[in-house]
Amino acid sequence: MKEAIQFEFTSKQKNLLFGFMGLGILCMIIIFFTDDALAPRFWSNFLLNSVFFTGISFIALFSIASMVTAYSGWQAVFKRVWEAYAQFLIVGLILMVIIIIGMFGGFHHLYHWADADSVAADEILQGKSSFLNKGLYTAVTIITLGVWYFFARKMRDLSIEEDQLAIGDFSAYRQIKKYSAAFLPIAAVTSAMVVWLWVMSLNAHWYSTLFAWYATSSWFVAMLSMTILTLIYLKSVGYFSKVSVEHFHDLGKFLFGFSIFWTYLWFSQYMLIWYGNVGEETIYFHDQRTNYPVLFYGNLVVNFVVPFFILLRNDTKRKVGTLVLTSAVVFIGHWMDFFLMIKPGVLHTYHEIMGHGGGGHAVLDNMAGQSAKLVADAGGHGAEAVSTFVNGFTFPGLLDVGVFLGFLAFFLYFVLVQLAKTRLEPVGDPYIGESIHHHVI
Amino acid sequence: MENKKILFGLYDDEQILLDAVKEAKDGQLDIYDVYTPFPVHGLDPLLELSESRLHIVGFFFGVVGALTAFLGMTWIFTDEWPMIIGGKPYWSVPAFIPITFELTVLFAAFGMVFVFYAVNGLSPRAHTEVLHPRLTDDRFAIAFDTSVSSNEEISRLEKFFERSGAEVHIKNLK
Repeated sequence: MKEAIQFEFTSKQKNLLFGFMGLGILCMIIIFFTDDALAPRFWSNFLLNSVFFTGISFIALFSIASMVTAYSGWQAVFKRVWEAYAQFLIVGLILMVIIIIGMFGGFHHLYHWADADSVAADEILQGKSSFLNKGLYTAVTIITLGVWYFFARKMRDLSIEEDQLAIGDFSAYRQIKKYSAAFLPIAAVTSAMVVWLWVMSLNAHWYSTLFAWYATSSWFVAMLSMTILTLIYLKSVGYFSKVSVEHFHDLGKFLFGFSIFWTYLWFSQYMLIWYGNVGEETIYFHDQRTNYPVLFYGNLVVNFVVPFFILLRNDTKRKVGTLVLTSAVVFIGHWMDFFLMIKPGVLHTYHEIMGHGGGGHAVLDNMAGQSAKLVADAGGHGAEAVSTFVNGFTFPGLLDVGVFLGFLAFFLYFVLVQLAKTRLEPVGDPYIGESIHHHVI
Repeated sequence: MENKKILFGLYDDEQILLDAVKEAKDGQLDIYDVYTPFPVHGLDPLLELSESRLHIVGFFFGVVGALTAFLGMTWIFTDEWPMIIGGKPYWSVPAFIPITFELTVLFAAFGMVFVFYAVNGLSPRAHTEVLHPRLTDDRFAIAFDTSVSSNEEISRLEKFFERSGAEVHIKNLK
């Protein structure tokens, strides 16, 4: 069988993805109309999935840049997939602009620091207002995503241009190297800034110096598992025949290594806060351990124990079955990780702001009434409800999973459209020969 | 152990070595061993060597290390000599994790080194005979055990070395 030069996006695949996108939109609508005032569940789901998938595309770009800078060649044979992931940054920009519009329009109250009444009554928020304010949030988000997209676009254009050049003409490759080297320091600073603003500032009173690395490593593992799944799928339908078990072995090693790296950061953050025992810091984990026990402990099991013990052996990284299983588990696991990063802060802020109307602050644990309502709304998913269980917040409900699937389908649709635009094998890449003959054993 | 008469040919390039090994395999020659100064990609599958089991040893030493550290600290801090440190409970799991990790790594590393030494008969006084000094530098060798070979067989091996461009040597190994 002759190898297809270009990916052909069949209508069957499109229809399947459209179906899941429809499901996602449907779930969004149901959530929106059954939600409380200020729609915290709707907006937190929107933020969660926007941040998760934008992060994945950012990490794809970062991977290309770091590997090119390190003279790495083995990824050349499948680098088009990462280039396609990175193009999603333009969608990420639009999604985050919607969050910004919602913030200025007062459609949501995700961020405690964006609520003028709260800031006026809160010294801590006043102290942080030079960084946590709407103007800076908007500027950093738009500039960062704009710059990232510029690099993503530029490197992909150069990579496509490379294919047209004569053999031995490395002018485009040299350009890619320059852009890659320039991107790395920019990525280091901007990724931390956006993680602080998008995710960490949801708990505006709390901060952790490790948080940016922790969230970024979570993106990293998600991106790697998604790459493995995408490549295995595309191979099974007849593309990427030159991506061999050796490439999967190295991707598996990355998945294994970065899962441990994630655990290391997770634990370092947890242990320092536990050991320091400062009330302002421990409240974050106290809340998670008391109100989100399944997610809190499940997070470690799914994202550390599973990949560690499955991928420890050599041969499990070389078999499709174990790789698919681990990648799928870990991918969902890191979505749950972001769920746990985002939802507690949003719920807390929501109760604080609702408390203002009643003439005082609502206390953290005073959520029994809300939980009963939300559980009833979700149509009985909350059978195991305890007094603090809030469906869609303390555990993902079916509707939240539906939204996730919708975003996932949207992401894949966008990526496959990008992938279909150019030839799959970057014949002009100087490392393509090395990559095809890649051997790890 | 009785003496072995080893006939070996030196090559100066790993690609030529790989081709020669392939040819020897095709010609049903019984290779005693292949010596290289560094790991050569693709040699192990050619020689049909099975994967090393050293890492399995490493895993079990790691488990022993983890249990030693964790159970040891649990026993010391809850039963043998309980101490209040920083107002934390006696059984403070997060504080035990770094030491558990360290002993896991220590046991796994040392365990693998010692097992490797034991399996290969290495010790501070052990003497290993090297076929040719340049095998530790920039030469590659295919060796045949010719202790019981007939002259015909030896001349066949010598012809093989001549064809593949090797420098032929004979050495007795104790």
